Amino acid sequence: MAAGAAALAAGCKRPDEEILANVTLEELPYVKIPEGLVPGVIQRYATALTLAGYGRGALVTSSEGRPIKVEGNPRHPASLGATDVFAQAEILALYDPDRSQAIRVAGEISDWPAFEQALGEHLAARVSGRGQGLRLLSGRIVSPTLLDQIEGLLKAYPNMRWHTFEPTEASDGETANVVYGKPLTLRPRFGDADVVAAFDADPLGCGPDQVRFGRELVDRRKRDRASARFYSVESGMTLTGAFADHRLAAHPDAIEAMVAALAAALGAPIARPELPQDHARFLDVVTKDLQARAGRGLVLLGPALSKNARALGVWINDRLGAPENAFDVDPRQAAAGTLPELADDIHAGKVEMLVILDSNPVATAPGDVEFGALVQRLPFRVHLGLYYDETAAASTWHLPMPHPLESWSDIASPEGVASIVQPLIRPLHESYSAHRLLAALAGEPPLSDYDRIRSTWRSRWGERNFDDRWRRALVEGVIADTGLEPAAKPAAKFPGWTPTAPQGGMSAIFRIDPSVFDGRFANNAWLQECPQPFSKAVWGNAVEMALADAKRLGIKEGDEVEVSVGKRALSGPMRLSNGIAPGVVQLSLGYGRAHAGSIGDGVGFSVAVLRTAASPWIARNVALRRIGPNGHLSPSTAGLFALPGKAEELAPEVEVGAAKASPPQPMASFFPPRPTPIGDPYAWAMVIDTGACIGCNACVVACQSENNVPSIGPDEVGWGRIMHWLRIDVYDHGSAPEPRPVFQPVPCMHCEAAPCEPVCPVEASVHDHEGLNVQVYNRCIGTRFCQSNCPYKVRRFNWFGYAAGQEYKNLGNALVKAANNPDVSVRDRGVMEKCTYCVQRISRARRLAERETRLIAEGEVVTACQAACPTRAIHFGNLVDPKSSVSELRRDPAHYVLLDQLHTRPRTTYLARLRNSNPELGGSA
Amino acid sequence: MSARVERAMIAEFGNPDALSDAARSVCNEGFRAIDALTPCPVEGLEETLGLKQSPIRWPMLIAGVGAAAFAYWLEWWSSVFAYPIDSGGRPLHSWPVLLLVPFEVGVLFAGLAGFIALLVLCGLPRLNHPLFDWDAVERSTDDRYFLLMAAPENENDNDRLRRLLSDARALRIRELSA
Amino acid sequence: MTVVSAFDRAPALEDVPVLPRAIDDRAITDIVCEPLLRPAGKGWWIAFIICSAGTLALIYGIHLLFTVGIGIFGNNTSVVWGFPIANYVWWIGLGNAGTLISSLLLLTRQSWRATISRFAEAMTLFAVSIAGLFPIFHLGRPLYFYWIAPYPATMHVWPQWRSALVWDFWAVLSYLTFSVVFWYVGVLPDLATARDRSRGAWQKVYGVAALGWRGSARHWRHYHRLQISLAALATPLVCSVHSIVGLDFAASLMPGWREPIFPPYFVVGAMYSGFALVVLLAATITYGLGLQALITARHFEAMAKIILMASIVMGLSYLSEYFAAWYGGHPEDRGMVAFEFTGAYWQVYAGMLFCNVIAPQILWFPRMRASLAVIIGVSFAVLVGMWLERILIVWNTLSHTFMPSMDRVFFPTWWDWLFLFGPMFFFAWLFLLFCRVAPVVPMFEARELRHKEAEG
Repeated sequence: MAAGAAALAAGCKRPDEEILANVTLEELPYVKIPEGLVPGVIQRYATALTLAGYGRGALVTSSEGRPIKVEGNPRHPASLGATDVFAQAEILALYDPDRSQAIRVAGEISDWPAFEQALGEHLAARVSGRGQGLRLLSGRIVSPTLLDQIEGLLKAYPNMRWHTFEPTEASDGETANVVYGKPLTLRPRFGDADVVAAFDADPLGCGPDQVRFGRELVDRRKRDRASARFYSVESGMTLTGAFADHRLAAHPDAIEAMVAALAAALGAPIARPELPQDHARFLDVVTKDLQARAGRGLVLLGPALSKNARALGVWINDRLGAPENAFDVDPRQAAAGTLPELADDIHAGKVEMLVILDSNPVATAPGDVEFGALVQRLPFRVHLGLYYDETAAASTWHLPMPHPLESWSDIASPEGVASIVQPLIRPLHESYSAHRLLAALAGEPPLSDYDRIRSTWRSRWGERNFDDRWRRALVEGVIADTGLEPAAKPAAKFPGWTPTAPQGGMSAIFRIDPSVFDGRFANNAWLQECPQPFSKAVWGNAVEMALADAKRLGIKEGDEVEVSVGKRALSGPMRLSNGIAPGVVQLSLGYGRAHAGSIGDGVGFSVAVLRTAASPWIARNVALRRIGPNGHLSPSTAGLFALPGKAEELAPEVEVGAAKASPPQPMASFFPPRPTPIGDPYAWAMVIDTGACIGCNACVVACQSENNVPSIGPDEVGWGRIMHWLRIDVYDHGSAPEPRPVFQPVPCMHCEAAPCEPVCPVEASVHDHEGLNVQVYNRCIGTRFCQSNCPYKVRRFNWFGYAAGQEYKNLGNALVKAANNPDVSVRDRGVMEKCTYCVQRISRARRLAERETRLIAEGEVVTACQAACPTRAIHFGNLVDPKSSVSELRRDPAHYVLLDQLHTRPRTTYLARLRNSNPELGGSA
Repeated sequence: MSARVERAMIAEFGNPDALSDAARSVCNEGFRAIDALTPCPVEGLEETLGLKQSPIRWPMLIAGVGAAAFAYWLEWWSSVFAYPIDSGGRPLHSWPVLLLVPFEVGVLFAGLAGFIALLVLCGLPRLNHPLFDWDAVERSTDDRYFLLMAAPENENDNDRLRRLLSDARALRIRELSA
Repeated sequence: MTVVSAFDRAPALEDVPVLPRAIDDRAITDIVCEPLLRPAGKGWWIAFIICSAGTLALIYGIHLLFTVGIGIFGNNTSVVWGFPIANYVWWIGLGNAGTLISSLLLLTRQSWRATISRFAEAMTLFAVSIAGLFPIFHLGRPLYFYWIAPYPATMHVWPQWRSALVWDFWAVLSYLTFSVVFWYVGVLPDLATARDRSRGAWQKVYGVAALGWRGSARHWRHYHRLQISLAALATPLVCSVHSIVGLDFAASLMPGWREPIFPPYFVVGAMYSGFALVVLLAATITYGLGLQALITARHFEAMAKIILMASIVMGLSYLSEYFAAWYGGHPEDRGMVAFEFTGAYWQVYAGMLFCNVIAPQILWFPRMRASLAVIIGVSFAVLVGMWLERILIVWNTLSHTFMPSMDRVFFPTWWDWLFLFGPMFFFAWLFLLFCRVAPVVPMFEARELRHKEAEG
């Protein structure tokens, strides 16, 4: 606590170097620096945040020198103005009190000079001048400056080797190599695709491309729904499968057979493999649809499929003339070794010194590498990271790394668009960037990161008006005319096809966890408490399988089960999950961390042990064994009993063309009817397009960050308590084996005839003249009558002082409080709270408008959830203005009102999910 | 007590019937029965003693109606005038729901008024009273029924009254002066 | 003094008078005042110590509640109400019976009510006082409970008069205060008796309490009229109170709550559980204080009949609920009924139906009505059943919402149980003190009754 407070007092200052706020191009000031320290004046800065090594542009809000909110950067191709969950949660990560705060040698606190000395000695003693035995291990690196530094390092030490290990890597360059004879990164252009068939692929799953792909797919649908169709065959239940018009659950082996069959149908010189009847039917329809759309059909293949099958996919796309871009792989990256190679070299005793950059292989490396034990053999091993994590504990030296919001760097998007990583705040703790560590390794003279980044770009741009270009880059958040040019594809050669021999036993597929990714976010309470898309489980993972398999194996939900391949085994609680293919168990990466921090330690179980370097995404011949009844299944924020027929009523689907309208009948009342809107200049309303919602949860965490919503921990959630103001309900229009989920984000409905208001005895829940259903916290005495009478159950009660003295674990630390939005009051114990339509943003817009004596214009108020949404599914605006987006959408035939029959007249309404089913498959699949 | 008398005569009876009979005959003979002390209400005694019906319901009615009216006014004023706040889109003057509180308050104040009226009408609390000087009167809250009369001035009236009472099964007769 | 125990006699009770002939004015005074004059017995002290312990436990619970927060209860995001609300409704219901006995039965000339009305009213006072605590315990910020009252608050906002909780506040406040007045008026003449019976310090205490009452005919006429008037007011008051408690639920739009039947059905339920408690207390003090002569088999038989009648009305209320759901045709309402029988709490619901509807039917048999053990057993079942009904009203509706994703089941914590049973000890504690200081049977009414029966 005290330490945190001290760090805060010391740390809440802007960097010394000039940082520039993000403004529109027109008003771009070349010389004038926007003043950011006027109290209350919100200043937004463009920077970039990394995920799996790639950069996603972001505009970060800073208040009195504290970064408090992350928004997307419209100019950045991987952000497009939106964010994913992880970007939202970086704020909490920045202020995480568990971050490493000191250099450690063998666990003992040390300092930089001591490290430099030790480094020098070891370099002298162990490493001949040519870098024999020196190894560098990192995740994916696309930062121009870092790449330059590594290049320099490799020049200085010709025999040094650089290895990269990205736990979530799908290694597509390899497969393209098979077909095109050279490593290529192939990226779909969904905007140009009519028919997309995903074979165990999850383009909408979390990752650096989620936002980009989500936007492209949804925009394509919005452009012309009737001609856009998405098929998905998958072994697990993914967001992509939920997005698809037709989904089929199948074992990866069966999926590979379907891919082969598709290839055969497209003229591949192979025999069409035998397919089960339903698979064949599905595939024939897909094939027909793909062939019908020459040059507008696209197939995607998932990482769990064999390299051979994925190569087939590349060939198929080539055959279809699929809308995809090929990019050359940076030779420097291509030259980097892999983790298994490093392991082999360590076994062979070729390695003396290992420097690990911002990576945690001890926790994430495939089990068969046994990196944890291996790394111990090295006499000198350095770890640089945000946390004193598993790898740090296994290293001789650990250096604390600054958070991206604290330090200068640069980074590139998956398509090479570079950004300057611009700090908003001085480092809260003693920390050392990768740039500095590499410089020390190369024995270069110390140079500040700021100067180093500038020099990188000076070398690219030259001196001529460098400062202008630099300023422009800082202000815009992207560097003009960077980005890779699509490369011409060589002639494709058919990769051949040898079907994988049918295997006994079950298969385990590994998925990147939508909440904690590969585990690097395990200590982030916002993410730990972010519900899984389908099970709505929080604070842990589970062994997920379909009901049929569970029955067959005699396992009940919640049982502790052992999952083993040969000697390697793990155990965890079983959770039933609709939509998982028979013969498949789904396991999430990222849990079971031992040194994550007070939040993430011991949450869930690690699945790395079952992954292999050869096949990181699927383990075959898996044996399952029931250990006992109580597996401590992690709590879920979803309901306990499924109600039949609810999906049709609450989250309807509409076939393209068909319309749905149900005008409510007026209800008898003592009271006169009331006009709507009430005659004010504003009547705020929200329309949520359930067809556009991909269930990524970005809005949930964005709301949490914007509105100071506390995380309450697994025990409280276990009691059935939640605090999220915005929840995403999922309704199933399909069957247990073949679910057809529809996501429905549910904020407060802000009913015009709000049932929660007349029941409040103290006028804490009242209506304002712009139609907001407001909660007056300091009036609330906590009768909870409002929530018991709320048909939408959107109100949240502070059973304890979740944000006021009774916080979970380290969330009460003064440092964490720095993440709070100063415009939103922190709620006390015993008080009811709920979605406010981000009233603080409305009033900010109003202040601005009133200063200029005009009305708030359309699009001036953007709620936090709306801003974060990658697919722009959430619309907010003024009903009084007939041309506003919400007014338009309310006239849409697919528009519907939740629980219309209750006559609550909600201001939050919905668009039904549009489907474009293929008549040949009917509504069934 | 209403009429001031110098000297009173008290007759003690063993049961209510004896008391009422005695009272009736005494009054028929033209004597003034002033009051009776009984351990429980005795039916018909009021008529015999010529007491009017109790007016106690009037203060109750007035207090009750008044309080109810005030309560409704308070609701109406605070929700329509003082703080016209939009609650669930209901009219500011949602009369049906404003009816309940006035009823409760009205009943409450009627009851309180009744109790106060009782004390006033009975001249209570009065912890001391001349009658308490006579020990025997203690049993007037137990099993004895006492009749109070103005003792006649002249001797033979006095004797006649005593005879009347003893005929009426009076257990004891006593004169005491106020 | 002859004491006749009614329960060693054969049934056919209707022809026997309420009070045995042997009783005279003196005997009544002796029987009622004797316990006040002698020191407390061993049994009383044991009971008193036990109840004090229970009360202390409750006080500790309250301390914890106020310092740690109401999160200690099992409530969750959907089932935001729990035990405190159910307890509140239950205790208010218990309270109602006392007033009903002393008002409704007075107006309807039920002579037998005379001797049981006093402690029944005391029961009302204690039960309502305890009930009044629960709405405070259940608040998220109990220290601000008074914001419900209309006073010139610094926040410049007045109560929101549309809220059933504000109606509750006034209903309970009025009812409690009114009951105190009613009770005190009733006990006044008997305090005078106690004053004249006792000696020393207690005589002064009773003397002051009796306000100098001396049974003057001029007082009796005011007194009598006031008593009738209060009774006439108390009857609609007591009905309105539990109707308003019913509106806490009925004035909503949640399935299972939005039922016009609720107010009357709550009143009957209140009377039902109230009489059950009266039976238990009557049995206790009859044998504890040796009042067999004043509280006889007739009383128990009459109360048994009322319980039987009430159980039938309860059954009808349940049926009307099912019918309304079916006839109204709203899927939510129908789903709610289905949920009651098949949902998360179906066992509890079955137990509730057994206690409230099935068990009391045994009282159809005169022999059973003549058996104190049976009547006590049934009364106990009814008390349990009525509490289950209250908690189920809360649980079923809040667990079975419009939004399946928000459906939650309630799991009680130890603290929930403490706040259920603790107040029972506190109630018994108060009642023990009451038995020691106040005449538990209205002597003057007993005398009246006796004289009436002597004539007729």
